[in-house]
Amino acid sequence: MRKSKSLSALTFLAIGLFLLGLSNFVDELRVYQGAQIAVYVIAISSIILLTGYSGQISLGHGALMAIGGYAAVLSYTYWHLPFLLAFTVGALAAALGGFILGMAAARLSGPYLAGTTLALAVGLPSLANQFHILGGEQGLSFDIGEAPKWISNKTGGDFTQYKWFFWVSVVCALATIWFIKNLLQSRFGRTWRAVRGNPSAAALSGINIGRSKVLAFTVSSTLAGLAGALLAMLLGLVAPMAFTLTLSFTLVTGAVLAGVTNLAGSIVGAVVLVGIPEFTDAVATHLGGSEKISANLPGLITSVLLILTVIFMPNGPKLHKRKKVTN
Amino acid sequence: MFVHRSTKRGAFAVAVAAVAALAVSALPAQAFSPRSETGVTSSTIKLGITVPLTGAAAPGYNKVPYGMKAYFDYVNDNGGVNGRKIQLVIKDDAYSPILAKSVTNDLILKDKVFALVGTLGTADNEATTKFVNDKGIPRLFVNTGFSGFANVKKYPTTYALFPSYFMEAKAIGGYLADKFAGKKVALIYQDDDFGIDALAGFSQVGTNFVAKIPYASGSQADPTVVGTWIKTIVGSGADTVVVFGVTSASAAALGGAYKAGLAGKLQWILGSVGADPTTIKAVAPTALPLLNGAIAASFLPSPSDSADEYVKQFQEINAKYNKGATFDNNVLVGMNAGMLAVQALRAAGPTPTRAKLIAALNTQGSKFASAGFASLGWSKTSHVGYNGYWFGRISADGSQTPVDGAGKYVLYTTDSSKGAVVKSTITRPAMPEKGLPTN
Repeated sequence: MRKSKSLSALTFLAIGLFLLGLSNFVDELRVYQGAQIAVYVIAISSIILLTGYSGQISLGHGALMAIGGYAAVLSYTYWHLPFLLAFTVGALAAALGGFILGMAAARLSGPYLAGTTLALAVGLPSLANQFHILGGEQGLSFDIGEAPKWISNKTGGDFTQYKWFFWVSVVCALATIWFIKNLLQSRFGRTWRAVRGNPSAAALSGINIGRSKVLAFTVSSTLAGLAGALLAMLLGLVAPMAFTLTLSFTLVTGAVLAGVTNLAGSIVGAVVLVGIPEFTDAVATHLGGSEKISANLPGLITSVLLILTVIFMPNGPKLHKRKKVTN
Repeated sequence: MFVHRSTKRGAFAVAVAAVAALAVSALPAQAFSPRSETGVTSSTIKLGITVPLTGAAAPGYNKVPYGMKAYFDYVNDNGGVNGRKIQLVIKDDAYSPILAKSVTNDLILKDKVFALVGTLGTADNEATTKFVNDKGIPRLFVNTGFSGFANVKKYPTTYALFPSYFMEAKAIGGYLADKFAGKKVALIYQDDDFGIDALAGFSQVGTNFVAKIPYASGSQADPTVVGTWIKTIVGSGADTVVVFGVTSASAAALGGAYKAGLAGKLQWILGSVGADPTTIKAVAPTALPLLNGAIAASFLPSPSDSADEYVKQFQEINAKYNKGATFDNNVLVGMNAGMLAVQALRAAGPTPTRAKLIAALNTQGSKFASAGFASLGWSKTSHVGYNGYWFGRISADGSQTPVDGAGKYVLYTTDSSKGAVVKSTITRPAMPEKGLPTN
């Protein structure tokens, strides 16, 4: 067991180094998209943890990301925290928000829970318009600066800010997956799955269902908060428009495409979300370059993918394949 | 059972494969010629614009880029800019900063545009600012009234075109002092930065209101909320009402007053954002007749004023190059920005570079011809565009004619700080022949 753990730690490290090294050989556009993928990976895996493993649904993760984003930017701007600490503040603030929401969530299920979290996604970001410190509609700007010299000097060449974003996001994403993976293999992971599978049986075997659900919500929110802070970094600002309902839905879509019980799928989901506009752009160019096509095609493709996934592979691509094998 | 353990390796294979695939698909760099600037070839100049083509904000705004493109096509058919044809790459940002950022990355890194023009939305422009600044991309005539973008230090390559909301409130305040002295004026304003900018402008010029009615964005759709506005107005004894909000708020206020039997009893003065008759027609057709007699602040001519040489020319271009599109304020805004962009490109000389474009705007921009009645304030130290408003009475068919000065345009100009409001009759530069700049 210990051996396999250290082996997988090495695998993580190797992947990290490979990705960071790769950033020297691809152009700036791909580097930024890579950073976007990493941020989506974190956000989607937070939903997978919540929905796939603990059996709760959230349509409001965009709002939790907003809490994380705003807390990170405010602490960076007013307390002058180093940006990594500011990200931590963002994640903790979202954790607190998630804890409170989780207390309510533990008592709700199905459509009621979906409705509650949906309301949060609709309402929370517009709070920024009510308080001057939150910057209103145009938001607050957020610039974490360039990579520190000791990093950029060693890699040589032109170390752009996008590359720095990529490094930070990739490290955070790998750390997140590592953390969730271990958490799911621990007592907590087993508890969540037990509650998800059969709450009565879980309660009978001594599991405190409410506490288990609140914990899952809190952990998931922490990760959403981190994703929100990273998104604020990528955008260079936090603004209500950055955390719309569409974002919440996009994340759920990503999770469904990934297969909600498949942590590894979060990477597939993230790549698909970032890749679709790229793909449609290429298609539109082939069809004569109308931006009317490239503007409307991503929504269509995402919706069709979502419908097809739900009809043909409700448990995600991976599980589906596995079932066939056992049959 | 679940697959968390056995997917370990599969996951990372997927991750690596995915990133590698993206890397491999990276497009080869464009044929590089050391002598010309990015986005400029011997026969073309490539410009980019981001606007909402989909989503809630799209209706109306989605007409702006096609108006601009129509104007560019017209110029291209007449020789282009110093022999180069202008290509406009249009990208949809759905009014989301996340999308605005990624499509602007595309414009700059993949499409390799020379400059951005008319990019729309405050947060959307803000999200791309750092990258635009770092790369030194000229960002011309941003389509927002947020006053911050005129700040040269923070946005060295960005040029505002519209006067800020602060300036607009000052101009309306100056107009009230001039023509409505002694009247009891009430104010309805949107309770966010948009309205707060305006409040600051009104207090700067010392405008007194008998009632100030804030509304939260979105609440104008609620008839009970609108009912309380009308009650407050009646209670305050106001005879004149200023609405500084979006079009749907103007429409709601007019409708509410009509229901309360106040039709024709109040003088309405509308800010430029909430006074587009075409939009009111679309949002609330029943409110359109109520606009009859309302006064609105504008910096562009009325899109229905075919006697205006610019509007007439733009309407002709629209009919030929923008087939099927009704000529309205959005098309006008797009064409007007296009005409300014063409002059900026011409002023940048036969071998345009980004630095030359910026220098040209700073030194010659204030003399460019455009449909706007106020003068343009671009210089090395300020990137404020238009500096004033005229006031026109809207008639039942949606057209707008000057209120005073016997059909002549009277301007109320001001600045974005403590300067006074000045009444003037500045005549704008005459339109270049056939709308084709020769500067």
